[in-house]
Amino acid sequence: MKRNPAKLLWLLLLFSDTVPFSCEKSMRERAIELMQDARLIDGHNDLVLQLRILYQNRLSRVNLRELNQTHTNLAKLQAGYVGAQFWSVYVLCSAQNKDAVRLTLEQIDAVKRMCNSYEELELVVTAQGISDSRRIACLIGVEGGHSIDSSLATLRMYYDLGVRYMTLTHSCNTPCVTGLTAFGQEVVKEMNRLGMLIDLSHTSYSTVKAALNISKAPVIFSHSSAFAVCNHSRNVPDDILQQLVSDKVLGFVFWRKEFVDHFDHIKKIAGSELIGIGGDYDGAKSFPEGLEDVSKYPSLIEELLRRGWNETELKGVLRENFLRVFREVENLICQNTYLIGSNSSHLTNQWDLIIFFPSKLEMLKLCLEGASSLQGRRLMSLFAPHVENQD
Amino acid sequence: MMFSCKDKHHDFECPMPFFFCPTLCAEHDPYGLEYPGASCPLPIHCTPPTCWLEKRNLFVFHSSHNDLVLQLRILYQNRLSRVNLRELNQTHTNLAKLQAGYVGAQFWSVYVLCSAQNKDAVRLTLEQIDAVKRMCNSYEELELVVTAQGISDSRRIACLIGVEGGHSIDSSLATLRMYYDLGVRYMTLTHSCNTPWSESSSKGIHNFYPSVTGLTAFGQEVVKEMNRLGMLIDLSHTSYSTVKAALNISKAPVIFSHSSAFAVCNHSRNVPDDILQQLKMNKGIIMVTFNADVLACGRKSVNISTLADHFDHIKKIAGSELIGIGGDYDGAKSFPEGLEDVSKYPSLIEELLRRGWNETELKGVLRENFLRVFREVENAFAMTRSLTSHKHSNEIPMRGKETVQE
Repeated sequence: MKRNPAKLLWLLLLFSDTVPFSCEKSMRERAIELMQDARLIDGHNDLVLQLRILYQNRLSRVNLRELNQTHTNLAKLQAGYVGAQFWSVYVLCSAQNKDAVRLTLEQIDAVKRMCNSYEELELVVTAQGISDSRRIACLIGVEGGHSIDSSLATLRMYYDLGVRYMTLTHSCNTPCVTGLTAFGQEVVKEMNRLGMLIDLSHTSYSTVKAALNISKAPVIFSHSSAFAVCNHSRNVPDDILQQLVSDKVLGFVFWRKEFVDHFDHIKKIAGSELIGIGGDYDGAKSFPEGLEDVSKYPSLIEELLRRGWNETELKGVLRENFLRVFREVENLICQNTYLIGSNSSHLTNQWDLIIFFPSKLEMLKLCLEGASSLQGRRLMSLFAPHVENQD
Repeated sequence: MMFSCKDKHHDFECPMPFFFCPTLCAEHDPYGLEYPGASCPLPIHCTPPTCWLEKRNLFVFHSSHNDLVLQLRILYQNRLSRVNLRELNQTHTNLAKLQAGYVGAQFWSVYVLCSAQNKDAVRLTLEQIDAVKRMCNSYEELELVVTAQGISDSRRIACLIGVEGGHSIDSSLATLRMYYDLGVRYMTLTHSCNTPWSESSSKGIHNFYPSVTGLTAFGQEVVKEMNRLGMLIDLSHTSYSTVKAALNISKAPVIFSHSSAFAVCNHSRNVPDDILQQLKMNKGIIMVTFNADVLACGRKSVNISTLADHFDHIKKIAGSELIGIGGDYDGAKSFPEGLEDVSKYPSLIEELLRRGWNETELKGVLRENFLRVFREVENAFAMTRSLTSHKHSNEIPMRGKETVQE
């Protein structure tokens, strides 16, 4: 076929000086298109703590759509294509052994009131809830094991109230002083049974190792970065990254400076399926230039596109990796229950294990919605044989 | 042996060896009954001496709708796997007896000691709520419900949750709301101690907030919030002034979950005639209690007839639509002859039939009166929601302690 000189000229123009400008525009557009299709799930935001500090949780005094003393408001979340947000429920470490439980309930209450007050927001508690939501899905994460006051019952009640992850420590040790004590191990196991995500941000190296050993479900770091890129104690070393890959599929989310390098590094060490986003807006003091608030997420995606990340990898980072982890944690509830139903001998405490569900029907629904419908059917036949098979 | 130890608010000498504070060892040994120190994973703490005293007097001071769950904590540390609730015989209540007593719905009392006020009352309350839920999910005879319709529809023994004592909310409306979210459907404003915002009918048992009378400004907010949520306000254990104040403010019917008639026995736990009349206007309910001490004012012989006298009196003063049943099994120490446990309810109904009560009145006493009250409280909640804007419902007064005069 003869080459068309006009075509050649057109191609040359494309690669001329005007190209960088038009490529940036298209990168930005690509980023936005991608995010419109796969809205971001962010693992960690401390707005609710700011609402306590600034307004004593009096939501009637603040318009969350336009609030400008914080990194976060509803308009900015929408501009940032945030589709789901874990709101951090945090109480000061100094409340440990004092009124941490009551303060935690107050923060959970604040999240719920906030999410019920605005039509842009919607409280959800499952992976399916995130997928189905057409608004900004709200979830709740408790930041710091001191919030449970060493009580598994309190952990269960937080789960009943909608809490779906707990960070095992904040910046203070719980009564589990190094790594995880025997009770700390019980906490991890109970979180597995409940289907609550175990968050290892803020925890020590030995706690991470111990938790990874015990947990039968994927774990998360709701807001940490790569130690190899920046050796801050809040970051995750390469050997842990590798353990994450080899032992189980993992969600892993990001925070702060030179952050794009962190993304590249972790992808190199362990793969992009491990990665998510946890901005820590309104929790941290300073943010990279260009990422000052929650409306700026598209700039991150743009930069990753520029560095050669493809759309599948980016959709993973934006939401799919996290949803996969969340679903797997939910599936484990079903598996545990099934084990009980089949009278596995290694379970010493069948009654205690079987009885934490708010209602059997809720649990069954969850199992049926989950990936393993075969599990769901088996469970239905064990617990509710009179209910029609939902095939 | 003396231990020097810290609790949340003081350093003091603990007079008891191996006595574990409920604050930290609740999972293992809340009352220091069975386990040596080594099994507790947490540092040793001690409770103040009053807690030890109260432990000895547990059966005198605790009374509530049905306190089985408290007994489960004392006897089994909430380890339900160690107990078969169908056949349990150390308590007034077990499932077989409930069925024999034709109990269709039971409010399980979630109670924590007054001595936990300002300490770990909130966490202990969550533990008791958790115990109720685990219990109701473990037995197919039981079913947790949270609405009047749930009670009506249930073919099993419907379980509901009532929190016994405002000290459980630690002066926090948010905590009250979270209890509601967890399924709590009534709260008794006080137990045997004043809170910073409400006055108890018990005097001299505890020394909390002695200058509080009736309801403070914050106490009024609590009542309004309970109306707004659709949570039943329970006035058993509260003082006369608290009752008057609550009846003035509440826009919904209130309940006495376990109290009897003051005119028949002038115990401070009972309800005087003028209040009964105000309760009638309020369309509330008094769930007559079986605690022998409040029925018979010290008389040695207490039997079904003694209890039936209370029913007759209230019916005479205010009508039978006001009446329900709140046995207080596993909460009180002694019960009338013939009513020793939860299987004996039919004997009461038999006696009332003998005294000329008709079937409509008795169906009212058994369930219809309570269902009517519960539905009306649910309706009041629905009306408040539609009338009030979001802004009002989000407003949170500061914690009650700041407004209380000590």
